[in-house]
Amino acid sequence: MSKEGEAAMSSNQEPSMGSYAGIVIGLMVIVGFEVVLTYQHLSVRRLLFALLCLASLEAFVGVMYLMHVKYENRLLFWTIYPATLFVLVMLNYIWPDAYRMARMSLGK
Amino acid sequence: MSQSELTMSTGHEVVMEASPYHMEKKKLGMWIFIVSDACTFATFLFGYGYMRVGSLNWGTPFEFSSILNGIFMTFILLSSSLTMLAAVRATQTGQKASANKWLGFTMLLGTVFAILHLREWFKMFGEGWGLFSNPTGGAVQFGACFFSVTGLHLTHVVSGVIALAVIMRGYNQGRYDTSHVETAGLYWHFVDLVWMFVFPLTYLMNAAR
Repeated sequence: MSKEGEAAMSSNQEPSMGSYAGIVIGLMVIVGFEVVLTYQHLSVRRLLFALLCLASLEAFVGVMYLMHVKYENRLLFWTIYPATLFVLVMLNYIWPDAYRMARMSLGK
Repeated sequence: MSQSELTMSTGHEVVMEASPYHMEKKKLGMWIFIVSDACTFATFLFGYGYMRVGSLNWGTPFEFSSILNGIFMTFILLSSSLTMLAAVRATQTGQKASANKWLGFTMLLGTVFAILHLREWFKMFGEGWGLFSNPTGGAVQFGACFFSVTGLHLTHVVSGVIALAVIMRGYNQGRYDTSHVETAGLYWHFVDLVWMFVFPLTYLMNAAR
């Protein structure tokens, strides 16, 4: 396939600059919401959960629209998401040891 | 090396198959790099979480002025994503002057972000924060975690600005085309999106409330 053909294939159906601006403003609004949540005196766990959910939403929107995964071949989506999610899930093995350290610090 | 040079001649007519991803090699390479780099950042952030959970007396040192600075930095970085998109769109339509203008704006915003970040760092150094020091008497791991995570991100931003400068120069000289600008744009958006995790986890979670 020629370069021009590949470029055309990857750039068709892209949103207008106005749509992109809307997406970026939406991301800014989410950041503003995160800041408001920070000062709502939520518990650390609740705040962490809320901030991670919002950050994940921002990342998903960013990857799909700003990084054009929505407009690329579906195979790209199924290549990058499961691989990244697998690593993120596997990294959670550290928490039992982190809580062990906390318990040791408390002398329990 | 071109695709044809990589293809072994067997005496038969060679039929080139299209990429299953329907994208150029450099773009796919950038995606592979981005996935691996996302894992690197995830490891740093998980390490920060590990230290935070495992340490008593972590502390929440960031006053609202620091949070405000972080909000402004986020605004700058998100705006730079928009200017990067405009630069890519300009190269796709062959508007060289416009592409240069938007690439220049993107580099400028990246530089402003780096300056604001360094200003925040030096303010913290002045207050006694360091890789192994905590002036509040709390967990000393805070400095190591904060400066490692934000330092890794800052390195990516500075590298991005340099990469964009190289791409812009090559594009003007005719050595690089739209696909190069698009690929650099992918990296820039990735750096932007990583900040969407770094800001809440390192700034907002440590805000004095």
